[in-house]
Amino acid sequence: MKFWVIRILSIVGAILACEWIQSVASHQNDYIQRMFILSGLYVTLAVSLNLINGITGQFSIGHAAFYQVGAYLGGYLSIHYFKAAGLPPLVWLVVTMVASGVAAAIAGFVVGLPSLRLRGDYLAIVTLGFGEIIRILVINTPALGGSYGIDVTPKITSIALVWLLAIVCIAVCRNLLKTASGLPFLAVREDEVAGAAMGVNVTRVKVSAFMLGSAFAGAAGALLASYESFITPTTFGMDVSFIILTMVVLGGTGSITGSIFAAIFLTLLPEYLRSLKGPTGGPLSLTGGTVLGWMVAVVVVVAILRYIYGDGGRPKMQRLYLTGAALVIGGIIQVVSSLLLNKIGLLHDKQIVIDQLRMVIFAVTLIVLMLLRPQGVFAHHEFSWDWVSRIMGRKKEAAV
Amino acid sequence: MSILQLDKAMIRFGGLVAVNEVSFELNKGDLFGLIGPNGAGKTTCFNLITGVYKPTSGEILFNGNKITGTPSNKIAKLGICRTFQNIRLFKALTVLENVVVGGYLRHKTGLFSALTYLPSSIHETERLKAEAMELLKVLNLDHVASVRSADLSYGMQRRLEIARAMATQPELLLLDEPAAGMNPLEKEELLKMVKKIRDEHGMTVLLIEHDMRFVMGLCERIVVLDHGEEIAQGPPSAIRNDPKVIAAYLGEAV
Repeated sequence: MKFWVIRILSIVGAILACEWIQSVASHQNDYIQRMFILSGLYVTLAVSLNLINGITGQFSIGHAAFYQVGAYLGGYLSIHYFKAAGLPPLVWLVVTMVASGVAAAIAGFVVGLPSLRLRGDYLAIVTLGFGEIIRILVINTPALGGSYGIDVTPKITSIALVWLLAIVCIAVCRNLLKTASGLPFLAVREDEVAGAAMGVNVTRVKVSAFMLGSAFAGAAGALLASYESFITPTTFGMDVSFIILTMVVLGGTGSITGSIFAAIFLTLLPEYLRSLKGPTGGPLSLTGGTVLGWMVAVVVVVAILRYIYGDGGRPKMQRLYLTGAALVIGGIIQVVSSLLLNKIGLLHDKQIVIDQLRMVIFAVTLIVLMLLRPQGVFAHHEFSWDWVSRIMGRKKEAAV
Repeated sequence: MSILQLDKAMIRFGGLVAVNEVSFELNKGDLFGLIGPNGAGKTTCFNLITGVYKPTSGEILFNGNKITGTPSNKIAKLGICRTFQNIRLFKALTVLENVVVGGYLRHKTGLFSALTYLPSSIHETERLKAEAMELLKVLNLDHVASVRSADLSYGMQRRLEIARAMATQPELLLLDEPAAGMNPLEKEELLKMVKKIRDEHGMTVLLIEHDMRFVMGLCERIVVLDHGEEIAQGPPSAIRNDPKVIAAYLGEAV
């Protein structure tokens, strides 16, 4: 009884939370709304890929293909059947989400089959190839608009639904890991032969992981199609697959929490950099010398940090002081080397607008994180209330 | 009554015949030893029995039913489970989780109820965890239940392999060099433990081992393999004095 009360309350809570996100976003301009939607979609994509890559250990790098299957099916259904169905827009959106999810799950089944025979790099190549096949199929299908893409009408935007999908996806993965049914998935990741010897049906586990993961990506695709109202095959290129993969790895392979944070962070970081303003109010621009100065500083700080954390034998406080010192040294190096480098006329005169630099900063962030924490920000850990209370508890003790 | 029967089981890898027409029979409740020099085909025999490889020819019968070519996971469900010579635990999982994976084949709820976190799935998880905990007590591993299995000592990892295999509640337990890398004290404990597994849990045990004191002290019957061929079969006393076995494996007493 108590269980069901909690269950219903949490479902209502999730829906209210999504409504709240929508109400916050609806007061903002289109651009901010777009950020809300994209980060929600990427959370779904990253968490669902994490199920395949991180939890089941099947190295798939064609996740954008499932996203594309969902988007095109959703778009196609909307164009041809929305009027005939006569449903309210939101209900229709849910219908296309379900249909796209099922279609993507079937695609996931097809890709899941080779994964029974292939491992690691070989599977990665197959999934990559599958992604390209889908994209090229669409380019060569006039009914789907070819390389021009298709106009999806009607345009339906629902931030609440985007985040509801993300929450459902997170909940499903978390439930899997909370119950014994998640263990066969982890067992397949750890050791297939040993898993099979313990009675784990490896075939079923792998195919279920692929189908579940791609179903969520497909549903996200349907939402994207109705929001963007214009989709082309380039929307789902290899780079999208790689960004989703990067989110999973950066957050910590296997950690749902990590995937969520990395998805939001990597969606917003390039956009935040784009919006930086210079002292005069225009877009921020730096001289060549300053940019180089930053690079020197980053290299030095990373080298020092790797030295500090490399041997792991230092006490915690000492590491903290040394990290602070490294950052101060980095700051000084940045200032000094920028001053010196800007003395060179060529570097001084070259102005670089932040917009041109944002992908560089994006890349540098990834490299630095992988150097300092190769297991990902959250490694294999998950967020839990115990964890929060432990940190809070420690703070309280310190205060006393 | 025979529980496992190998009937002229043979497997060929290209030009190499790894196991050549080996036949032996285990009765219910046996403590059976499989010995021989390195490369004799002992582990390959295990792989044939557990369905990792399909024999080129010959039959394997379990409780009178043919299991030749049945996939590993189905064989585990039928009631044969094994440990691995080169420890193959699920390293990132905790000790308890490793054992729960073993018990998972008796899990009754489906994937849907797990994904929606229904009470049936939660109770099933609790039940499997409780069962696993009981088993860890038997193998004296309960105090490290929440430790990552990769962080255990070598001897404990070996014991955990046995616990994980026992969690599938097999009728026939295959142990591949369970005492390898253990010190004499640990071996002594393991010997008692394997006897207990047979006597109290009613499992039939087939084991591969190089430590002759261990094998001779434990097993009631032994098969000796050499270069994939079966060269002797019988009780320890007969094996110890068999001239063929002495020549191939045991060596002359100095």
